[in-house]
Amino acid sequence: MSTRWYPIYQRGNPQLRVFLPNFWMKLVRPRGTQLPNIVHFECSMEMTKHDIKNYLNKIYNIPVVEVRTKIFLGKFKRDIGKGYIVKDDDIKNAIVTLPKDMKFEYPDIFEKAKDETEEQEKALTEAKKSFQNYIDRNKNRSDVPSWFSI
Amino acid sequence: MISYLVRNTFARILRSHNAVNIVASSAFKKDIHTTIPSYELMEFFDSKKNWTETSIRVGRAWKLDELRIKSNSDLHKLWYVLLKERNMLYTMEHECNDKMKLFPNPERIDKVQESMNNIETVVRERNVAYYKLETGETGERPVEDVVNIFGLPEKYEKSEHYLPKFMNTRWVRPYLEHGFTNSAAVKRFYRLNREKQHNNDRKARNRDFNHVQQLLKRFPNMDMEKLKAEYPNVDLEKAKRSKKARGHYFPKY
Repeated sequence: MSTRWYPIYQRGNPQLRVFLPNFWMKLVRPRGTQLPNIVHFECSMEMTKHDIKNYLNKIYNIPVVEVRTKIFLGKFKRDIGKGYIVKDDDIKNAIVTLPKDMKFEYPDIFEKAKDETEEQEKALTEAKKSFQNYIDRNKNRSDVPSWFSI
Repeated sequence: MISYLVRNTFARILRSHNAVNIVASSAFKKDIHTTIPSYELMEFFDSKKNWTETSIRVGRAWKLDELRIKSNSDLHKLWYVLLKERNMLYTMEHECNDKMKLFPNPERIDKVQESMNNIETVVRERNVAYYKLETGETGERPVEDVVNIFGLPEKYEKSEHYLPKFMNTRWVRPYLEHGFTNSAAVKRFYRLNREKQHNNDRKARNRDFNHVQQLLKRFPNMDMEKLKAEYPNVDLEKAKRSKKARGHYFPKY
């Protein structure tokens, strides 16, 4: 990729600038309890600590005090049928410390989510209704296949 | 300041997919905060009204032709909008998986990714055009056909090195002094490689022959010259005589 093709860094040269960064980061729920000014991310495996700090600072305008990173080994599993071994992807975890006066609590996204059984019931009644509709529509032409209509 | 406003507005447009919702005052309100804003982290989440939705309707991805008429700075801004959107979608997907919920409209990620790929394509096109005009070369990563250390042909993607070739003694020793590796293990590898190649060729030959037989069976009045042009390695006369090419009708050939 031409836009990703940079000359190698030699000491004394200017620091490289990333033109169109392709890094991704996702904010994840911390494992266990955490101080209020600490946020956990998962990020691209290629990202360094400097990258993470710059990414959050420049793109999201988040002040960052410290970044620690950790790579979690993906789990090895044996395929049940065939018996070969498969491995999940490794995950790079970034533990980002914000300034002392900042607080972040991971929001509860499904707090107000509707009850699932209720929704399923609703979908079922809807399906029943549409099927009844279909039967009613074709009452007078029982021998004609369903696809035969305008 | 202005670019910040524009960026925020863009993000909101994309997030809500509803231009009516965008009010300039909300963008201004963000900027006159005196305390350190902590809600920037909330950009990793979808807007609150979408949290409980089970289906979120969005438009299509950006097309190449739409991006080609945009300026470089517009593309640059749009890239960051898409980058943030993708991060948001990844975060929401992760949380949904954690909580054993269905992630609504997962094709949104694909659409954003497609748009990003298209932006890269356009930027690359412009880069190539500029380089061709200025230097007569494409400016792409150079690729060379080389013979590798096992004596097999290989496409080598060139890259910059700290040391030139002739100074790199560790590299020079196996390549230039000893020539190709020619041990017993490599010879065995050649044999197996040739066998594999031969098997692949044989399978391709049989596959074509069987396919032609089936074609003759299904379409006995086919244009034979075109068939010959399509499958030049197949012996048509032999295929016609074979049992597999005979259909459930009185034989034509």
